[in-house]
Amino acid sequence: MPELFDRLACDLARFQASRVEGYGKLCRARGVNLSTLSQATDAPAVPTDAFKIARVATFPEDAAVATFRTSGTTVGARGTHAMRDTASYDAAAVAFGRWALAAELSERVPVVVLGPSPNEAPDSSLGHMNGLFVDAFGLPAPVEHTYFISDDVLDVAGLDERVAFAMAQGREAMIVLATSFALVHLLDALDDAPFRLPQNTRVMQTGGFKGRSREMDAKRLRRDLARAFKIDERQIVLEYGMTELSSQFYEATVAKNDAPAWVYVEPPWARVVPVDAVTLEPVADGEVGIARIEDLMNVDSAFAVLAADRVRRVGAGFELLGREPDASPRGCSIAIDEMLGR
Amino acid sequence: MSRTEAERISDVRQVLEAARTLVRERAELAAEIARTTGLSPEGVELAMTEHLETTATDAELASLVARAGDAPRVHVILSANVFIAALRAIAIARAASRFVTVRPSRREPVFARALVGALGCTEITLAENVAPMEVTGGEIHVYGRDETIARVRAAARPGVVVRGHGAGMGIAWIGPGWPVSEAARALASDVVPFDQRGCLSPRVALVLGDEARAEAFAEALHDVLGAWETKVPRGELSREEAETAARYSETMTFAGKVFEAPGHIVALAHEGSVLAVPPPGRHVHVARVSDARSVASRIAPLSRAIVAVGASDPTEARAFAPAHARVSVLGQMQRPPLDGPVDNR
Repeated sequence: MPELFDRLACDLARFQASRVEGYGKLCRARGVNLSTLSQATDAPAVPTDAFKIARVATFPEDAAVATFRTSGTTVGARGTHAMRDTASYDAAAVAFGRWALAAELSERVPVVVLGPSPNEAPDSSLGHMNGLFVDAFGLPAPVEHTYFISDDVLDVAGLDERVAFAMAQGREAMIVLATSFALVHLLDALDDAPFRLPQNTRVMQTGGFKGRSREMDAKRLRRDLARAFKIDERQIVLEYGMTELSSQFYEATVAKNDAPAWVYVEPPWARVVPVDAVTLEPVADGEVGIARIEDLMNVDSAFAVLAADRVRRVGAGFELLGREPDASPRGCSIAIDEMLGR
Repeated sequence: MSRTEAERISDVRQVLEAARTLVRERAELAAEIARTTGLSPEGVELAMTEHLETTATDAELASLVARAGDAPRVHVILSANVFIAALRAIAIARAASRFVTVRPSRREPVFARALVGALGCTEITLAENVAPMEVTGGEIHVYGRDETIARVRAAARPGVVVRGHGAGMGIAWIGPGWPVSEAARALASDVVPFDQRGCLSPRVALVLGDEARAEAFAEALHDVLGAWETKVPRGELSREEAETAARYSETMTFAGKVFEAPGHIVALAHEGSVLAVPPPGRHVHVARVSDARSVASRIAPLSRAIVAVGASDPTEARAFAPAHARVSVLGQMQRPPLDGPVDNR
């Protein structure tokens, strides 16, 4: 119901403009009349860069119960997203995660994380979400049998043991939560050997390589993973999320039989609008723009976030096209990306 | 036969003379440079008449020659540079070797080609391509982004010396000595040349004092850059520059205060916030500093990229400037003496 979405979004815009000084300034600078605002896209989005250099929160610092930080090393700053209550974040993440990853699973399954435990990475929103999924979908298991990266080292033997145990118990499904670079490290460690997982396993793959593994073509990575795990490629589900948001986006290949691969779908409480990177106006349907993400779960920060990723609407979802291809800069003035080493 | 220092200086002087010829007869050349660089015609005129290093003292050239070393041949790869940088690159190569091959930048090839043509010297030739793996001896001087330099280094044969000249940026220090209006005028004259696409171009200004002084400086800079726009309009931004500028404007409207006009952005940051670096295109990030002793730590994350520091008082700036950075008085950042590479890293 777009009308309801817009009504809620505009209410959030008014609330945030009244509580977050920077957002109030941004609305005034862009000539937005908040009292008559009726379309969410008429309200400005807060660039992700702002989370690195200013506080984006409607509440005092001492009221924060969780503070998530981006992992990217930047010029002295990490993006910060503080929350005074994670209840709505948690409920939304589990609800949409269940739809995208746990569809048709009638019981709890072994959940393994190719990532650090939330205790080891307390400021990682991904770590927090993984922890939620472990609790919501997983069979009880000790931490060391659930999280298989510690001190940046992937415990392949431990993972193998946990999978073997699940197979021996006759488990038909597992959920594997992993970053792209962790999956590449796993493939490298396997060196072409198979690593069979229960046949109805779902793999959530998120993020890029961030220089932490060799880069791999996305299609090849998927093909190699499916071959190693002995599962269908459609059981590998891409997730798109970021610290500055409270919602996530997934491929619907597990949830819907006819869903196209490489297309992310939004939960009902969030939407992704491709906008022109200069005018910040929505582009025509099917054209490429940068992602303006409207997330109604971002109650206490910014309901609209301007990401740096390029996206394109496709049917009921969107394709994620990554950052702008590296254009050759004019002159010898250092490019911001070069300075950040990304 | 090896050349004497005097012969090398004489050879470099011929490069400067060729450049002076181009400046004298620049009408057609300048129009073509404007088409390829995206600078306005006035911007090209400013660069050619004010910032091209067509003169140098004997001492400066002696320094340049001494720093250039000696090589049987130098291959110059111009990958990313402002157009006038071809002059210094060729001068350094010529100081190092009698034989020079120049591969002009694909984005800004016109001036380099014209300069080699004006030299009319069989020992200095143009090449459409220089494949590092095919260079069998001598040196390769590569001007470009870090990844380009790394690629050339990786491909070069053993024994071939690769000298990389990377991209960079400048910062400005507005100390207590100057009135803000004077400092703003001087800084603007460093920002405008090449539409801030030079590696010496200042993109961040640190203002010592209270909030009122920092804001007064930002406002004054906004006014001066506005005045420059009528004399030397900014050229066309690339799509990428325009996109990054739009994002920077939104970010700083949220996180500070923005003074924006069609030809520039000046953004005033809150004290203590992380230094954001705006994209080239006459965009300046102004940050207040309440204690000069905090500057070194404030700029530390940017240190590797900073190749120039302009200051109201260079003596003060040397206390925090990275050791490799050129330090000059504000207004002189884009006029480095022809004494060696601009990049001292």
